[in-house]
Amino acid sequence: MLRQIWIVSALNFKSLKSRFWQSMVIVVGLAATVGVMLSMLSVSAGMRTAYQNSGSPDRAIVVSKGVEQEASSAITRAMAPLIAVAPGIAKDKDGKPLADRTLQLGVPVVRANGSKGFTTMRGMAEKGPGVRPELKIVAGRMFQSGKRELIAGVGAQVMFQHMQIGDKVILPDGEWPIIGIYKTGDQLEGQLIGDSETLLTATHKTNYNTMLVRLASPDSLDAFKKAMTTNPALSVDVIRHSDWYNRVASQSTFGLALLGYVVGAVMAIGALFGCLNTMYAAVSTRGREIATLRALGYDALPVAVSVILEAMLLSVTGALIGAGIAWALYDGKLDLFNNVIFYLSVSRAQIALGVIWAAAVALLGGLFPSIRAARLPVVDALRAT
Amino acid sequence: MKYVPLVWAAIMRKPTRAVLTLLSVMLAFTLFGLTIGMNATFAKVQEEARDDRIFAFARFGGLVPIALERQIEGMPGVAMVASSSFVPGYLHDPKNRIFVQMMDENIPKVLPEWPITPQQWQLIRDDRQGMLVSKMQADRWHLKAGDTLTIAAPAARKLDGSPSWTFHVAAITSDINYMSQGYMFGNFDYMDKARTLSDQSKTGQFRVKVSDPSKTAEIAAQIVSKFANSPTPLETITEKVAFDVSAGTGMDIASVDRDVALAGMFMVLFLTANGLAQAVRERFAEFATLKTIGFSDSGVIALVFAEAAIPCLMGAGLGIGLASIVSNVMPRFLPPGQGLPIPTMTIMVFVWAGLCAALVAFISAALPALRLKQMDIATALSGR
Repeated sequence: MLRQIWIVSALNFKSLKSRFWQSMVIVVGLAATVGVMLSMLSVSAGMRTAYQNSGSPDRAIVVSKGVEQEASSAITRAMAPLIAVAPGIAKDKDGKPLADRTLQLGVPVVRANGSKGFTTMRGMAEKGPGVRPELKIVAGRMFQSGKRELIAGVGAQVMFQHMQIGDKVILPDGEWPIIGIYKTGDQLEGQLIGDSETLLTATHKTNYNTMLVRLASPDSLDAFKKAMTTNPALSVDVIRHSDWYNRVASQSTFGLALLGYVVGAVMAIGALFGCLNTMYAAVSTRGREIATLRALGYDALPVAVSVILEAMLLSVTGALIGAGIAWALYDGKLDLFNNVIFYLSVSRAQIALGVIWAAAVALLGGLFPSIRAARLPVVDALRAT
Repeated sequence: MKYVPLVWAAIMRKPTRAVLTLLSVMLAFTLFGLTIGMNATFAKVQEEARDDRIFAFARFGGLVPIALERQIEGMPGVAMVASSSFVPGYLHDPKNRIFVQMMDENIPKVLPEWPITPQQWQLIRDDRQGMLVSKMQADRWHLKAGDTLTIAAPAARKLDGSPSWTFHVAAITSDINYMSQGYMFGNFDYMDKARTLSDQSKTGQFRVKVSDPSKTAEIAAQIVSKFANSPTPLETITEKVAFDVSAGTGMDIASVDRDVALAGMFMVLFLTANGLAQAVRERFAEFATLKTIGFSDSGVIALVFAEAAIPCLMGAGLGIGLASIVSNVMPRFLPPGQGLPIPTMTIMVFVWAGLCAALVAFISAALPALRLKQMDIATALSGR
């Protein structure tokens, strides 16, 4: 049986050349479908990765009870030391807890194209670098505590104007120079960082936004959480940093991803009708050939399978072309959406998704024509001109 | 007109092919309708933005002292200033996000085009806990006038530390175009007097109306520089810029939409061109017969163009129709708070769809038509 499928399909593929333009309908249809879908998903996928990389399972974030955004959380000066002495926090080599008092505020920026936008400025205190070991200075130097100076992310440098070392950022108490450039591999690369205490004074704020702590081990979250929730002086939520960002990621990318899938689905259905059309036409042009095979004693099944295989070959080729174009155009490109900077991403998983999408179209689009091929009345088909 | 049956017979010669082509074209135009319709929505919002208004808010985030309202009002060229703040909360579960905008008494004067009557505005003045709920939000939360709604807003706590805010639904009002998810409006005084002392007498943003629309950008810049060295520096954005989706998101969404629509058109062009070429090839001898019995070159070619145009135009019509149905039911299925714009099927969307359909038909028919023009009748008739 397999041998028959092989022979019939091989014969089939050899005759593809004579049906070139007709077959291109499927290739182009799926290339367009998968290309558009993956291009759109590159935005949501890239953003999701940038957010997810920002969280870490061995960090925990402490925010005021019930808030969903760092900026709306408030941790008072009185609360900060209470949180830092809690059990479950990792210690640095001097035995000090790795707990960071953080600030988050929006600052206006000029985008590379000249339009106005915002980015996030973060405040980090002395334990910040210990809590976020992924932060690496790639040019210039780290800011010093107590000094009015900032470091900028590598993404911010590309996507915003005036973000080079030596440039000044206007803050309420004057201009702060950028003295270093950092890399983190996450969405912080599109932001600015300065010293929490100095920023607090400069912006006339009284509270920190959050406490970010490094856990002694990923398992020590429970102990830490218990200490936080049983302390009557604190009204806070403790969330694993990776969970916090997973939620942020889903909330901010759900709509975009949905849009990508909806567009992909609509185009796929359109391509499906094109595929049906082409395969029906292919079966009718190959009518004689199929009838001959059947007369020679080949089963109906290999004939039917060969039709579906042809549809598969064409649509998967199309999907790979579309995915290739999307990948070449967008993968790894730095982009900006809603003030978040991230790298567009056409990952292997997404390409695989595109191929599956195309295979599904081919299966449906080849099924009915293959049934027709299998049922072709041999005698009539042989007589037909 | 008398050739319609001829064209129709040609199309229906292969009914499966005709129907499949039509469906494929229809879907491509559904996508066209949704994407170009979304651009139409953006354009409409941008057009409705007034050129004499400015948003002003804290440059580095947070609240602004309400006292600045009077200072801005005193600036030359400023006609009136209104302010609004907000209670960002949720109903029962943090997933059910609710965002109540708390309006001061100047808002109706600065935003007179909103579909809210003075009587309705008065309702939330008479009852400070009153709330105006747009139809869309009322449907979403099953609210009617007279209902009481308590939301939790951990980010806007009250004097006693409680995060719950109770509102009375005073009236259900018409939706506002650019608030694609609907709105809830409350009374600023209720919020101001009830919240923690450190946040009292502070508001979220100002809506500044200028007297001369040609000076809007200039005054926006003046507001920024006036407060640059104050404890609360301000940032401003003119309404025209604020309502421009690519300025807001930093991504040229309109061109993304166009590219998607174009990809669909490309797919369809391939499909119809191939289908037509095949149909003409199959009936080559018939066309030769038509020519023999006296049809002119242009007559035969016109038949081919008609054969291409009918599925394209029909598909375009059906597709745009489907797109408008989808846009009508879309809001019901969208998760709240994503702010996805709802496509609008304006006349321009129909016109563009018609033009694209005609273009696709024209290009599809061009090659087969050329072949027919150059055909050698004798060879074609002999079926070789």
